[in-house]
Amino acid sequence: MGIALQPYTEDRTPAVMAFNERLAQGGCPPEFRFPESPTPHWLPKREGLPLFQEYYLATENDFVRGGFILKYQDFAICGQNHRVVYYHLPLSEGIVNRAYATTGALMLRGALKMQPMLFALGMGGFDNPLPTMLKAMGWSLFAVPFYFRVNHPARFLQNIAALRSSFSRIVLSNMAAATGTGWVGIKVAQWMRSVSSVRDIAIEPVNSFGRWADELWRTCAPVYAMIGSRESSVLNCLYPPGVNFLAIKVLRSSQAVGWAVLLDTQMHDNKYFGNLRVGTLVDCLAVPENAPAVIQAACDFLTRRGVDLIICNHSQAAWGKAFRSSGFFSGPSNFIFAASEPLAQQLDPISGWQNEIFFMRGDGDGPVNL
Amino acid sequence: MSSPLLDRVRGIAADVLEVPITQVTPDSSPETLETWDSVHHLNLVLALEQEFNLQFEPEEIDQLDNVGEIVTVISRKQNVAS
Repeated sequence: MGIALQPYTEDRTPAVMAFNERLAQGGCPPEFRFPESPTPHWLPKREGLPLFQEYYLATENDFVRGGFILKYQDFAICGQNHRVVYYHLPLSEGIVNRAYATTGALMLRGALKMQPMLFALGMGGFDNPLPTMLKAMGWSLFAVPFYFRVNHPARFLQNIAALRSSFSRIVLSNMAAATGTGWVGIKVAQWMRSVSSVRDIAIEPVNSFGRWADELWRTCAPVYAMIGSRESSVLNCLYPPGVNFLAIKVLRSSQAVGWAVLLDTQMHDNKYFGNLRVGTLVDCLAVPENAPAVIQAACDFLTRRGVDLIICNHSQAAWGKAFRSSGFFSGPSNFIFAASEPLAQQLDPISGWQNEIFFMRGDGDGPVNL
Repeated sequence: MSSPLLDRVRGIAADVLEVPITQVTPDSSPETLETWDSVHHLNLVLALEQEFNLQFEPEEIDQLDNVGEIVTVISRKQNVAS
Protein backbone atom coordinates (compact mmCIF):
# COMPACT_ATOMS: atom_id res chain seq x y z
CA MET A 1 0.00 0.00 0.00
CA GLY A 2 2.90 2.39 0.61
CA ILE A 3 1.82 4.55 3.56
CA ALA A 4 4.45 6.84 5.04
CA LEU A 5 4.48 8.94 8.20
CA GLN A 6 5.49 12.58 7.87
CA PRO A 7 4.99 15.90 9.63
CA TYR A 8 1.85 17.78 8.61
CA THR A 9 2.80 20.55 6.18
CA GLU A 10 0.59 23.27 4.72
CA ASP A 11 0.39 21.62 1.27
CA ARG A 12 -1.35 18.64 2.85
CA THR A 13 -4.30 20.66 4.18
CA PRO A 14 -6.66 19.90 1.26
CA ALA A 15 -5.89 16.19 1.65
CA VAL A 16 -6.60 16.39 5.39
CA MET A 17 -9.94 18.07 4.65
CA ALA A 18 -10.78 15.30 2.17
CA PHE A 19 -9.78 12.69 4.79
CA ASN A 20 -12.12 14.31 7.32
CA GLU A 21 -14.89 14.34 4.75
CA ARG A 22 -14.46 10.59 4.18
CA LEU A 23 -14.58 10.02 7.96
CA ALA A 24 -17.80 12.04 8.14
CA GLN A 25 -19.38 10.20 5.23
CA GLY A 26 -18.40 6.91 6.85
CA GLY A 27 -20.41 7.86 9.94
CA CYS A 28 -17.54 8.81 12.22
CA PRO A 29 -18.66 10.95 15.21
CA PRO A 30 -17.88 14.67 14.75
CA GLU A 31 -15.20 14.72 17.47
CA PHE A 32 -13.10 12.37 15.31
CA ARG A 33 -11.73 14.87 12.82
CA PHE A 34 -8.09 15.81 12.30
CA PRO A 35 -7.14 19.49 12.61
CA GLU A 36 -7.29 21.23 9.24
CA SER A 37 -4.20 23.35 9.77
CA PRO A 38 -0.59 22.26 10.26
CA THR A 39 -0.17 24.81 13.06
CA PRO A 40 -1.82 23.68 16.29
CA HIS A 41 -4.35 26.13 17.66
CA TRP A 42 -3.40 24.96 21.17
CA LEU A 43 0.28 24.86 22.12
CA PRO A 44 1.93 25.51 18.76
CA LYS A 45 5.71 25.17 18.70
CA ARG A 46 7.23 28.58 19.40
CA GLU A 47 10.70 29.73 20.40
CA GLY A 48 11.13 29.65 24.14
CA LEU A 49 7.87 27.89 24.97
CA PRO A 50 8.35 24.88 27.24
CA LEU A 51 5.70 22.63 25.74
CA PHE A 52 4.24 22.24 22.29
CA GLN A 53 2.30 19.97 19.95
CA GLU A 54 3.17 18.60 16.53
CA TYR A 55 0.89 16.97 13.99
CA TYR A 56 1.84 13.92 11.92
CA LEU A 57 0.11 12.39 8.92
CA ALA A 58 -0.05 8.91 7.42
CA THR A 59 0.08 9.62 3.69
CA GLU A 60 -0.40 7.45 0.64
CA ASN A 61 0.87 9.48 -2.30
CA ASP A 62 -1.40 12.54 -2.43
CA PHE A 63 -3.90 11.12 0.03
CA VAL A 64 -4.01 11.37 3.81
CA ARG A 65 -5.02 8.06 5.40
CA GLY A 66 -4.51 8.98 9.04
CA GLY A 67 -2.89 11.28 11.56
CA PHE A 68 -1.91 11.69 15.19
CA ILE A 69 -0.74 14.40 17.54
CA LEU A 70 2.27 14.43 19.84
CA LYS A 71 2.48 16.86 22.75
CA TYR A 72 6.01 17.33 24.03
CA GLN A 73 6.60 18.37 27.62
CA ASP A 74 8.96 17.90 30.52
CA PHE A 75 8.15 15.62 33.41
CA ALA A 76 9.84 15.04 36.73
CA ILE A 77 10.30 11.31 37.23
CA CYS A 78 11.62 10.73 40.74
CA GLY A 79 12.79 14.32 40.68
CA GLN A 80 14.80 13.92 37.45
CA ASN A 81 13.76 15.82 34.34
CA HIS A 82 12.63 13.77 31.33
CA ARG A 83 10.96 14.71 28.06
CA VAL A 84 7.82 12.57 27.81
CA VAL A 85 5.37 12.76 24.94
CA TYR A 86 1.59 12.49 24.92
CA TYR A 87 0.13 10.50 22.01
CA HIS A 88 -3.38 11.54 21.12
CA LEU A 89 -6.10 11.82 18.51
CA PRO A 90 -4.85 8.93 16.37
CA LEU A 91 -7.28 8.75 13.45
CA SER A 92 -7.08 6.18 10.70
CA GLU A 93 -9.08 5.72 7.51
CA GLY A 94 -9.39 2.14 8.73
CA ILE A 95 -12.23 3.41 10.96
CA VAL A 96 -14.43 3.75 7.85
CA ASN A 97 -12.61 1.70 5.20
CA ARG A 98 -11.38 -1.79 6.01
CA ALA A 99 -8.75 -1.57 3.30
CA TYR A 100 -6.83 0.70 5.71
CA ALA A 101 -7.07 -1.49 8.80
CA THR A 102 -3.25 -1.58 8.86
CA THR A 103 -2.86 2.17 9.34
CA GLY A 104 -3.61 2.34 13.07
CA ALA A 105 -0.86 -0.11 13.97
CA LEU A 106 1.56 1.62 11.59
CA MET A 107 0.93 4.99 13.29
CA LEU A 108 1.34 3.58 16.78
CA ARG A 109 4.59 1.85 15.92
CA GLY A 110 5.80 4.91 14.08
CA ALA A 111 5.08 7.20 17.03
CA LEU A 112 6.91 4.82 19.37
CA LYS A 113 9.89 4.73 17.08
CA MET A 114 9.99 8.55 17.07
CA GLN A 115 9.42 8.93 20.81
CA PRO A 116 9.73 5.79 22.96
CA MET A 117 8.70 7.60 26.16
CA LEU A 118 5.02 7.95 25.32
CA PHE A 119 1.84 8.10 27.33
CA ALA A 120 -1.84 8.27 26.47
CA LEU A 121 -4.62 9.70 28.64
CA GLY A 122 -8.41 9.73 28.58
CA MET A 123 -9.61 7.40 25.82
CA GLY A 124 -13.13 6.90 27.18
CA GLY A 125 -12.65 3.50 28.79
CA PHE A 126 -10.65 0.28 28.56
CA ASP A 127 -12.82 -1.33 25.90
CA ASN A 128 -12.25 1.27 23.18
CA PRO A 129 -9.93 0.41 20.26
CA LEU A 130 -6.97 2.58 21.26
CA PRO A 131 -6.56 1.30 24.84
CA THR A 132 -7.12 -2.24 23.53
CA MET A 133 -4.25 -1.77 21.09
CA LEU A 134 -2.02 -0.16 23.68
CA LYS A 135 -2.56 -3.04 26.06
CA ALA A 136 -1.70 -5.50 23.28
CA MET A 137 1.52 -3.53 22.71
CA GLY A 138 2.56 -4.10 26.32
CA TRP A 139 1.66 -0.65 27.65
CA SER A 140 0.66 -0.33 31.31
CA LEU A 141 -2.91 0.91 31.72
CA PHE A 142 -5.03 1.95 34.66
CA ALA A 143 -8.04 4.16 35.32
CA VAL A 144 -7.31 7.53 36.94
CA PRO A 145 -9.72 7.64 39.91
CA PHE A 146 -12.76 9.92 39.69
CA TYR A 147 -14.07 11.81 42.71
CA PHE A 148 -17.21 13.87 43.12
CA ARG A 149 -18.84 15.94 45.83
CA VAL A 150 -22.49 16.90 45.77
CA ASN A 151 -23.42 20.44 46.80
CA HIS A 152 -27.09 20.33 45.85
CA PRO A 153 -28.35 16.79 46.43
CA ALA A 154 -31.89 17.28 45.13
CA ARG A 155 -30.71 18.69 41.78
CA PHE A 156 -27.98 16.07 41.62
CA LEU A 157 -30.36 13.17 42.16
CA GLN A 158 -32.89 14.62 39.74
CA ASN A 159 -30.33 15.05 36.95
CA ILE A 160 -28.28 11.91 37.44
CA ALA A 161 -31.27 9.59 37.78
CA ALA A 162 -32.83 11.00 34.62
CA LEU A 163 -29.78 10.07 32.56
CA ARG A 164 -30.32 6.32 32.98
CA SER A 165 -26.85 5.68 31.68
CA SER A 166 -24.51 3.02 32.96
CA PHE A 167 -22.44 5.84 34.51
CA SER A 168 -25.43 7.20 36.41
CA ARG A 169 -26.52 3.73 37.54
CA ILE A 170 -23.12 3.01 39.03
CA VAL A 171 -22.93 6.44 40.70
CA LEU A 172 -26.37 6.07 42.27
CA SER A 173 -25.73 2.50 43.27
CA ASN A 174 -22.45 3.41 44.97
CA MET A 175 -24.04 6.32 46.74
CA ALA A 176 -27.06 4.32 47.89
CA ALA A 177 -24.70 1.77 49.36
CA ALA A 178 -22.78 4.51 51.15
CA THR A 179 -25.55 6.85 52.19
CA GLY A 180 -28.95 5.25 52.30
CA THR A 181 -31.53 7.11 50.27
CA GLY A 182 -32.15 10.67 49.29
CA TRP A 183 -30.52 13.96 49.80
CA VAL A 184 -30.43 13.78 53.57
CA GLY A 185 -28.36 10.63 53.25
CA ILE A 186 -25.93 12.38 50.88
CA LYS A 187 -25.58 15.38 53.16
CA VAL A 188 -24.97 13.23 56.21
CA ALA A 189 -22.52 10.99 54.42
CA GLN A 190 -20.51 13.92 53.11
CA TRP A 191 -20.45 15.55 56.53
CA MET A 192 -19.24 12.31 58.06
CA ARG A 193 -16.59 11.92 55.37
CA SER A 194 -15.25 15.40 56.00
CA VAL A 195 -12.91 14.27 58.73
CA SER A 196 -11.66 17.67 59.63
CA SER A 197 -11.98 21.15 58.25
CA VAL A 198 -8.69 22.77 57.39
CA ARG A 199 -8.26 26.01 59.21
CA ASP A 200 -6.18 29.10 58.66
CA ILE A 201 -6.14 29.02 54.89
CA ALA A 202 -6.73 31.93 52.57
CA ILE A 203 -7.69 31.89 48.92
CA GLU A 204 -6.35 34.42 46.42
CA PRO A 205 -7.63 34.37 42.82
CA VAL A 206 -4.74 34.84 40.40
CA ASN A 207 -4.51 35.73 36.70
CA SER A 208 -1.08 34.26 36.19
CA PHE A 209 1.58 32.13 37.81
CA GLY A 210 4.85 33.65 38.95
CA ARG A 211 7.88 32.94 41.07
CA TRP A 212 5.71 31.64 43.89
CA ALA A 213 4.53 28.84 41.58
CA ASP A 214 8.12 27.99 40.65
CA GLU A 215 9.05 27.71 44.33
CA LEU A 216 6.13 25.36 44.88
CA TRP A 217 7.16 23.31 41.87
CA ARG A 218 10.71 22.93 43.18
CA THR A 219 9.32 21.67 46.49
CA CYS A 220 6.77 19.29 44.96
CA ALA A 221 8.60 17.83 41.95
CA PRO A 222 10.75 15.35 43.91
CA VAL A 223 7.80 14.15 45.98
CA TYR A 224 5.82 12.44 43.22
CA ALA A 225 6.94 9.45 41.15
CA MET A 226 6.02 11.22 37.91
CA ILE A 227 4.49 14.64 37.42
CA GLY A 228 4.25 16.97 34.43
CA SER A 229 6.19 20.18 34.85
CA ARG A 230 4.11 22.76 36.66
CA GLU A 231 6.59 25.59 36.46
CA SER A 232 5.06 29.02 35.98
CA SER A 233 6.07 29.16 32.30
CA VAL A 234 4.16 25.93 31.65
CA LEU A 235 1.12 26.96 33.68
CA ASN A 236 0.89 30.33 31.95
CA CYS A 237 0.83 28.44 28.61
CA LEU A 238 -1.79 25.96 29.73
CA TYR A 239 -4.03 28.35 31.67
CA PRO A 240 -3.74 31.81 30.13
CA PRO A 241 -5.96 34.61 31.42
CA GLY A 242 -9.09 35.43 29.49
CA VAL A 243 -10.10 31.81 28.99
CA ASN A 244 -12.57 29.91 31.20
CA PHE A 245 -10.06 28.81 33.80
CA LEU A 246 -10.30 30.08 37.39
CA ALA A 247 -6.95 29.95 39.15
CA ILE A 248 -6.52 30.30 42.90
CA LYS A 249 -3.50 30.47 45.15
CA VAL A 250 -3.91 28.79 48.53
CA LEU A 251 -2.09 30.42 51.42
CA ARG A 252 -1.41 29.60 55.01
CA SER A 253 0.22 32.28 57.17
CA SER A 254 0.71 34.30 53.99
CA GLN A 255 2.77 31.52 52.44
CA ALA A 256 1.62 29.82 49.24
CA VAL A 257 1.06 26.16 50.06
CA GLY A 258 -0.64 25.24 46.80
CA TRP A 259 -2.76 26.32 43.89
CA ALA A 260 -5.70 25.03 41.91
CA VAL A 261 -7.13 25.62 38.46
CA LEU A 262 -10.89 25.25 38.29
CA LEU A 263 -13.78 25.33 35.87
CA ASP A 264 -17.37 26.33 36.57
CA THR A 265 -19.55 24.98 33.76
CA GLN A 266 -23.29 24.98 33.27
CA MET A 267 -24.00 21.70 31.48
CA HIS A 268 -26.81 21.35 28.95
CA ASP A 269 -28.17 17.85 28.29
CA ASN A 270 -24.75 16.43 29.06
CA LYS A 271 -24.69 12.65 28.86
CA TYR A 272 -22.98 12.38 32.24
CA PHE A 273 -24.22 15.45 34.14
CA GLY A 274 -27.51 16.43 32.55
CA ASN A 275 -28.16 20.10 33.31
CA LEU A 276 -26.07 20.38 36.45
CA ARG A 277 -23.69 23.24 37.09
CA VAL A 278 -20.40 21.39 37.46
CA GLY A 279 -17.26 22.64 39.15
CA THR A 280 -14.09 20.84 38.10
CA LEU A 281 -10.76 20.72 39.85
CA VAL A 282 -8.76 20.62 36.61
CA ASP A 283 -5.26 20.91 38.01
CA CYS A 284 -3.54 21.65 41.26
CA LEU A 285 -0.28 21.33 43.13
CA ALA A 286 0.84 20.98 46.73
CA VAL A 287 2.83 18.52 48.77
CA PRO A 288 0.57 15.67 49.96
CA GLU A 289 0.29 17.08 53.48
CA ASN A 290 -1.32 20.23 52.05
CA ALA A 291 -3.70 18.38 49.70
CA PRO A 292 -6.63 18.80 52.14
CA ALA A 293 -6.02 22.56 52.24
CA VAL A 294 -6.02 22.89 48.46
CA ILE A 295 -9.09 20.68 48.07
CA GLN A 296 -11.00 22.59 50.71
CA ALA A 297 -10.01 25.92 49.17
CA ALA A 298 -11.16 24.75 45.75
CA CYS A 299 -14.45 23.46 47.15
CA ASP A 300 -15.10 26.66 49.11
CA PHE A 301 -14.39 28.77 46.03
CA LEU A 302 -16.63 26.71 43.74
CA THR A 303 -19.39 26.36 46.32
CA ARG A 304 -19.57 30.14 46.76
CA ARG A 305 -20.03 30.36 42.98
CA GLY A 306 -23.07 28.08 43.27
CA VAL A 307 -22.01 24.84 41.56
CA ASP A 308 -24.20 21.79 42.07
CA LEU A 309 -21.40 19.24 41.88
CA ILE A 310 -17.61 19.26 42.16
CA ILE A 311 -15.58 16.68 40.25
CA CYS A 312 -11.97 15.70 39.84
CA ASN A 313 -9.80 12.93 38.42
CA HIS A 314 -6.58 12.38 40.34
CA SER A 315 -4.17 9.48 40.16
CA GLN A 316 -2.10 9.98 43.30
CA ALA A 317 -3.03 7.98 46.40
CA ALA A 318 -2.47 10.65 49.07
CA TRP A 319 -4.65 13.06 47.12
CA GLY A 320 -7.29 10.36 46.80
CA LYS A 321 -7.30 9.96 50.56
CA ALA A 322 -7.58 13.73 50.91
CA PHE A 323 -10.55 13.84 48.52
CA ARG A 324 -12.37 11.14 50.46
CA SER A 325 -11.75 12.89 53.77
CA SER A 326 -13.05 16.11 52.21
CA GLY A 327 -16.49 14.69 51.54
CA PHE A 328 -15.90 13.29 48.06
CA PHE A 329 -17.28 10.01 46.78
CA SER A 330 -15.50 7.77 44.27
CA GLY A 331 -17.23 7.23 40.96
CA PRO A 332 -16.64 5.15 37.82
CA SER A 333 -13.73 6.41 35.74
CA ASN A 334 -13.24 6.16 31.99
CA PHE A 335 -10.18 8.40 32.18
CA ILE A 336 -7.42 5.94 31.39
CA PHE A 337 -3.67 6.48 31.77
CA ALA A 338 -1.38 4.36 29.59
CA ALA A 339 2.43 4.28 29.69
CA SER A 340 4.58 2.85 26.91
CA GLU A 341 6.97 0.06 27.89
CA PRO A 342 10.07 2.33 27.98
CA LEU A 343 8.20 4.81 30.19
CA ALA A 344 6.89 2.08 32.49
CA GLN A 345 10.44 0.71 32.78
CA GLN A 346 11.54 4.11 34.14
CA LEU A 347 8.82 3.84 36.76
CA ASP A 348 9.01 0.13 37.60
CA PRO A 349 11.68 0.54 40.29
CA ILE A 350 9.04 2.43 42.31
CA SER A 351 6.81 -0.04 44.09
CA GLY A 352 3.16 0.69 43.34
CA TRP A 353 4.05 3.55 40.98
CA GLN A 354 0.52 3.61 39.57
CA ASN A 355 -0.60 5.16 42.89
CA GLU A 356 2.28 7.61 43.09
CA ILE A 357 2.15 9.38 39.72
CA PHE A 358 0.33 12.69 39.49
CA PHE A 359 -2.14 12.99 36.63
CA MET A 360 -5.31 15.05 36.44
CA ARG A 361 -7.71 16.35 33.77
CA GLY A 362 -5.35 19.25 33.06
CA ASP A 363 -2.73 16.79 31.81
CA GLY A 364 -2.97 15.34 28.31
CA ASP A 365 -5.21 17.35 25.99
CA GLY A 366 -6.72 19.35 28.82
CA PRO A 367 -10.23 19.37 30.29
CA VAL A 368 -12.15 18.85 27.06
CA ASN A 369 -15.93 18.43 27.41
CA LEU A 370 -15.83 20.21 30.75
CA MET B 1 1.37 -20.34 -3.26
CA SER B 2 2.05 -23.30 -0.98
CA SER B 3 4.76 -23.58 1.61
CA PRO B 4 5.41 -24.38 5.25
CA LEU B 5 5.74 -20.64 5.88
CA LEU B 6 2.35 -19.94 4.36
CA ASP B 7 0.80 -22.68 6.47
CA ARG B 8 2.31 -21.23 9.65
CA VAL B 9 1.07 -17.76 8.77
CA ARG B 10 -2.41 -19.10 7.95
CA GLY B 11 -2.51 -20.86 11.29
CA ILE B 12 -1.56 -17.72 13.20
CA ALA B 13 -4.02 -15.60 11.26
CA ALA B 14 -6.83 -18.08 11.84
CA ASP B 15 -6.06 -18.11 15.54
CA VAL B 16 -5.81 -14.32 15.95
CA LEU B 17 -8.74 -13.51 13.67
CA GLU B 18 -10.82 -16.34 15.16
CA VAL B 19 -11.81 -17.86 11.84
CA PRO B 20 -11.50 -21.45 10.52
CA ILE B 21 -8.15 -21.96 8.84
CA THR B 22 -9.97 -23.04 5.69
CA GLN B 23 -11.16 -19.43 5.34
CA VAL B 24 -7.60 -18.08 5.36
CA THR B 25 -6.05 -17.97 1.90
CA PRO B 26 -3.16 -15.98 0.42
CA ASP B 27 -5.71 -13.40 -0.76
CA SER B 28 -7.33 -13.01 2.66
CA SER B 29 -7.26 -9.38 3.81
CA PRO B 30 -9.16 -6.94 6.05
CA GLU B 31 -11.56 -6.52 3.15
CA THR B 32 -12.42 -10.23 2.97
CA LEU B 33 -12.32 -11.33 6.60
CA GLU B 34 -14.90 -9.63 8.81
CA THR B 35 -12.87 -9.85 12.00
CA TRP B 36 -9.70 -8.34 10.49
CA ASP B 37 -10.04 -4.80 11.87
CA SER B 38 -7.41 -2.40 13.22
CA VAL B 39 -7.24 -4.03 16.64
CA HIS B 40 -6.97 -7.53 15.22
CA HIS B 41 -4.38 -6.37 12.72
CA LEU B 42 -2.16 -5.19 15.56
CA ASN B 43 -2.70 -8.47 17.40
CA LEU B 44 -1.75 -10.31 14.20
CA VAL B 45 1.43 -8.25 13.85
CA LEU B 46 2.42 -8.99 17.44
CA ALA B 47 1.66 -12.70 17.09
CA LEU B 48 3.74 -12.93 13.90
CA GLU B 49 6.63 -11.12 15.58
CA GLN B 50 6.56 -13.55 18.47
CA GLU B 51 6.24 -16.62 16.26
CA PHE B 52 9.06 -15.66 13.90
CA ASN B 53 11.22 -13.79 16.42
CA LEU B 54 11.39 -10.60 14.40
CA GLN B 55 10.14 -7.03 14.55
CA PHE B 56 8.37 -5.22 11.75
CA GLU B 57 9.27 -1.63 10.93
CA PRO B 58 6.29 0.77 10.80
CA GLU B 59 6.37 0.87 6.99
CA GLU B 60 6.41 -2.95 6.88
CA ILE B 61 3.27 -3.10 9.03
CA ASP B 62 1.48 -1.30 6.23
CA GLN B 63 2.62 -3.95 3.74
CA LEU B 64 1.04 -6.74 5.77
CA ASP B 65 -2.34 -6.13 4.17
CA ASN B 66 -3.04 -9.67 3.00
CA VAL B 67 -1.82 -13.12 3.95
CA GLY B 68 0.26 -13.53 0.80
CA GLU B 69 2.07 -10.23 1.42
CA ILE B 70 2.68 -11.24 5.02
CA VAL B 71 4.46 -14.35 3.79
CA THR B 72 6.50 -12.26 1.33
CA VAL B 73 7.61 -9.76 3.98
CA ILE B 74 8.51 -12.44 6.52
CA SER B 75 10.41 -14.42 3.90
CA ARG B 76 12.36 -11.29 2.91
CA LYS B 77 13.22 -10.50 6.52
CA GLN B 78 14.33 -14.06 7.20
CA ASN B 79 16.56 -14.05 4.11
CA VAL B 80 18.13 -10.77 5.18
CA ALA B 81 18.69 -12.12 8.68
CA SER B 82 20.44 -15.20 7.37
